[in-house]
Amino acid sequence: MGFDLSIKVGGEAGQGIQTVGDIIAAVCGSAGMYLMAINDFESRVRGGHSFFQIRISDTCVNAPSLEISLLLALNKRTYELHKGEMTDGGMILGDSEIFSEDKDVTCVPANDLAAKAGGKIFSNTVMAGACLSLLGAPFEVFRKVLTERFKSKGSDIVEKNVTAARLGYDAVEDTDFRLAPEWTSLDSKGMIINGAQAVALGALAGDCRLAAFYPMSPATSVMRYLTGMAEDFPIIVEQVEDEIAAVNMITGASFAGVRAMTSTSGGGFCLMVEGLGLAGITETPIVIVNAQRPGPATGLPTRTAQGDLQFVINASQDEFPRFVFAPGTPEEAFQLTIKAFHLSQKYQVPAIILTDQHLHDSLFIADRGAFNIPREIERFIINDSDMENPAEYKRFAFASNGISPRALPCMGKAIVRATGNEHTEDGHISEDAENRFKMVNKRNAKISRMVSELNPPEALYADSRIILAEWGSPKGAVRESVDIMRDDGLDVGCLHFSELWPFPAEEVRKMLKGKDIITVEQNSTSQLSRLITEQTGIFSKGSVLRYDGRPFYPEDIAEEIKTNME
Amino acid sequence: MVDIKDYDCAYENKWCPGCGNFSILSSMKEALVKLDISPEQILIVSGIGQAAKTPHFLKCNMFHTLHGRALPIATGAKVANHDLTILVNSGDGDCYGEGGNHFISAVRRNIDLTLLVHNNQVYGLTKGQASPTSDPGMITPLQPSGVISSSFNPLAVALSLGGGFVARGFTGDPEQLSGLIQQGIMYNGFALIDILQPCISFNKVNTFGWYKKRVYDLSKEGYAPDSFEKAIQLSMEWGEKIPTGILYKKEGVSFTERIETLKSGTLLSREYDPMAVEKVIGRI
Repeated sequence: MGFDLSIKVGGEAGQGIQTVGDIIAAVCGSAGMYLMAINDFESRVRGGHSFFQIRISDTCVNAPSLEISLLLALNKRTYELHKGEMTDGGMILGDSEIFSEDKDVTCVPANDLAAKAGGKIFSNTVMAGACLSLLGAPFEVFRKVLTERFKSKGSDIVEKNVTAARLGYDAVEDTDFRLAPEWTSLDSKGMIINGAQAVALGALAGDCRLAAFYPMSPATSVMRYLTGMAEDFPIIVEQVEDEIAAVNMITGASFAGVRAMTSTSGGGFCLMVEGLGLAGITETPIVIVNAQRPGPATGLPTRTAQGDLQFVINASQDEFPRFVFAPGTPEEAFQLTIKAFHLSQKYQVPAIILTDQHLHDSLFIADRGAFNIPREIERFIINDSDMENPAEYKRFAFASNGISPRALPCMGKAIVRATGNEHTEDGHISEDAENRFKMVNKRNAKISRMVSELNPPEALYADSRIILAEWGSPKGAVRESVDIMRDDGLDVGCLHFSELWPFPAEEVRKMLKGKDIITVEQNSTSQLSRLITEQTGIFSKGSVLRYDGRPFYPEDIAEEIKTNME
Repeated sequence: MVDIKDYDCAYENKWCPGCGNFSILSSMKEALVKLDISPEQILIVSGIGQAAKTPHFLKCNMFHTLHGRALPIATGAKVANHDLTILVNSGDGDCYGEGGNHFISAVRRNIDLTLLVHNNQVYGLTKGQASPTSDPGMITPLQPSGVISSSFNPLAVALSLGGGFVARGFTGDPEQLSGLIQQGIMYNGFALIDILQPCISFNKVNTFGWYKKRVYDLSKEGYAPDSFEKAIQLSMEWGEKIPTGILYKKEGVSFTERIETLKSGTLLSREYDPMAVEKVIGRI
């Protein structure tokens, strides 16, 4: 018998929602469950309302689900806000000091039990214990997770947490939760990872040597993970004075010969655009992660969006080639980050990775087999020994494929000159009209080969009459919505765009010709739909759009499409 | 031995005849030759402005970048390969206006570069507007009632942020200037050399004669640049008398020396290790 249930942990910012959520997820993931968890929080350090929602199943899940089976309410407001989401047979769990009056809440004396374990501070562990007990999770796995998590704080803290966990676990021992899953296979199905962590791993596997950044939600987590993992690597993670410095610093580092990246969100990307253009005209490879959030300006700082697609494709005055990737899962985030580094070096162009808060902050079970590491790094750099006459080296020599052999400054007899002005082949300022034509054409000559490096969008049920087209993080929700609709007899499939620019127009035209296309996007003006029309001449029939900063739920997508079909 | 002719560059110079920049250019060449640094061994980074065109006019590795952004670009290059010797050519608008935040941060980092600010107290490339270092009251076509803000004091700012090499040069004394550039390059850390440079086209107030009458060379007065208090006092001296030379110098530890990772060699020289990546992934 299959199972699929969601657990919601809600409360105020500062109450430890994420810690409780992380622990429950870690126990479930370690004990063989598939899972997916979303992190919904406000832009504040204390107060307000936040929640962490974990979906567990015996089959692969990649999106959140609407109905809640188990609600852990850390305050009254959580109960009021979410009790309507409970599925039939669902349970609400709360602290007896808060919920003694509410008959539909299963109460645990969290503070009393925590005090027994060593102090009020352990009350969240008590509640996590009660939660996992209702779910029927094996306590041994729970003990292991707590030990791993708190070992850096000493054995006393580990012991007190385990005691608190046990007290919470035993407190609901006699309570029957009929939706509890079966814990048959305790083999982990993959690693528990979020999108930001996957990007950081991709940067290490892509041989990134300098990561410069200015803090901005939801992008900072990439740098936090990089910092945490960088100990054994020749990499510097540096917080700089602003985003302008960040993009220019990585451009300087790349000019001198190392792979470099930055990560930011839309507002920071705005500040980087001038630097992006410099990398464009000086043909300096850089990688920029833009973790999208709703805007413009400050928008909704801690929430998710996909409003920057047309922006990053077109960002900067005038024109130059660039790559744009939009991973939909941690596996893709890892692979496409490596690919962004590789291709930006090969073609001497900037590469942009468009992620978002949903991908960055959500937990997934990722397939270890998808985390292939390059055995070696291709450098695409020449030195004196590769040249007939190094003294005559021209950094921007007219090459028919647009890629002028790249040497590094101060590494030999070859003199390397670059300038943000239009320039001659040897990198001096030039206002000559014919030279300008030739330089723009040289840079643009790369585009046809760049397209051929990209994989076409990934199709599911490609022969269907209706095709849902999406890009980036809605992948999981859209795929699940397709399954829901197909169960209802709808002839529907989907197309996932993750390698977006230069746009693979020919392939896409073939895949979409004669289909009823509906795009599913987290913006208000159907940016992918507009891009498809611009590039292929094909119009979509409509779009399912969400721009409230919350992620897509499969049930909502299916519902909206079915309603529109009627 | 490096010869001054090695620095010759066929590229046509684009400055106004008589511009103070020519003096800075020749002092730079002379300093590099004196230190036996060849054109192949030097990287010059610049922003935007007349000063920022400098690296085009001598043979060198160069990156002519964006307005105000020379310092972060140069910092990135230094972090990637800390064996590089890097000079930065910037102007008062480029460095103290558009790039003000980067200037502040470069001083704080103590990144080992030599920054030459061609300070003519006016915008040259855009033809005669006020700059951050224009004196209050200066009349320009765009500030017809005179500049109303107080002027930016680069030396005092650098000192207040802990700058360890703070100097002022004057294009009218190329020998002193060449010496300052040599000492700046030799200095381990961030070296600021603010250079008073008359703009013959757009600054009719702070002319060659105006500066000539006022400047005095600290080294000729027996000044030892080891007192922060005296340096601060001197940095505030502007008017009848203007001090030049090294105001303050103290040894310190530069940015790249403070980074543990760089102790085993430059980032550029290090090998890629797939096993290390595998290990990290294995831990998740």
